[in-house]
Amino acid sequence: MSYSEKVIDHYNNPRNVGSLPKGDTAVGTGLVGAPECGDVMKLQVRVNPETGVIDDAKFKTFGCGSAIASSSLATEWLKGKTLEQALEIKNVDIVQELSLPPVKIHCSVLAEDAIKAAIADYKRKQQDGQ
Amino acid sequence: MSSEARTLTLQSCRHCGAGAPAQVHFCPQCDRILTLARHGDYFSFFGLPRKLTIDLADLEQRFRALSRQFHPDYFYNASTPERLASLERSSYLNDAFRVLKQPLDRAEYLLKVEGLPSVGRHQDAKELPAGVLEEVFALNEELDDIRAAREAGATPDQLMARLDAARRPVEERAARQEAQLEALFSRWDRQVDEKSSPDVRRATLESLRDLIQERSYIANLIAAVNRERGES
Ligand code: FES
Repeated sequence: MSYSEKVIDHYNNPRNVGSLPKGDTAVGTGLVGAPECGDVMKLQVRVNPETGVIDDAKFKTFGCGSAIASSSLATEWLKGKTLEQALEIKNVDIVQELSLPPVKIHCSVLAEDAIKAAIADYKRKQQDGQ
Repeated sequence: MSSEARTLTLQSCRHCGAGAPAQVHFCPQCDRILTLARHGDYFSFFGLPRKLTIDLADLEQRFRALSRQFHPDYFYNASTPERLASLERSSYLNDAFRVLKQPLDRAEYLLKVEGLPSVGRHQDAKELPAGVLEEVFALNEELDDIRAAREAGATPDQLMARLDAARRPVEERAARQEAQLEALFSRWDRQVDEKSSPDVRRATLESLRDLIQERSYIANLIAAVNRERGES
């Protein structure tokens, strides 16, 4: 199976690889896995407390090229979005943008799940902090 | 549907029209081989209850006996439907044997026929026992570091020591999972014997599915560590 050019580009030059401080209350961390292949993905967002806008996003993925590309793309899309907008990102958008073949759809689902998990973690922290 | 209901499902003989229970392979009335029915499952095919603990010697004996009965050579002069039936039953028998003799494949198969396939589900960290994904993630990071150290010229001894240290906690977890798996196998079998309620049995199957998924992460990791060891 051949990867699309966009996947290869994200794979060779992944954007926003790294970590944000997990303990920071402005940071939400999502850690998800795909049981079929055993791949794991960590995605983090930092939310500007004043504006409610995501001002930074990082990821680290141990998995296939499509999972790396999906999470790399997701972090690009997340920056500058509000939490509501971020939750509108769907795996089909990622599939389209990266032209993922059907067997790689689960890799994009992983990225969508990671976004949701990161935002849920952020919201939990805000509630706990009150 | 319960396993009892399934074994009662009737098939009928294409030749004489007589009915037969699902786990029977030859018509009780005219003795001809029966066309393979769509329902039924690997367990009933072998005449076994849907239990997870299987005596392998007994399974193998059943396999050999059935292979002989279905052997296409015996149907050389038979009618086309019978020849087809013998081929179908032979190939179904081989599939069934391959799956049932491996405990994990057997468990996955049980989940499938009970309507809880284990694949194709994503899960986030909360669904796994505390720490599994974290452990998987941390070990992947350590493997990355070890690769970097190799490239930076670390000695094989140093790399081995790090790999062994990294491997220990996952192997301990793998051993714990093995024990849990055994416990779930016996719990399921007991519930089948005691005809426990569907809810109770379903809960057991759900635990089984979760454990199998958790196990796949750990198995992948151990494979990755072993690959690194091979290269060091
Ligand atoms: S194959 Fe596992 S995430 Fe792509």
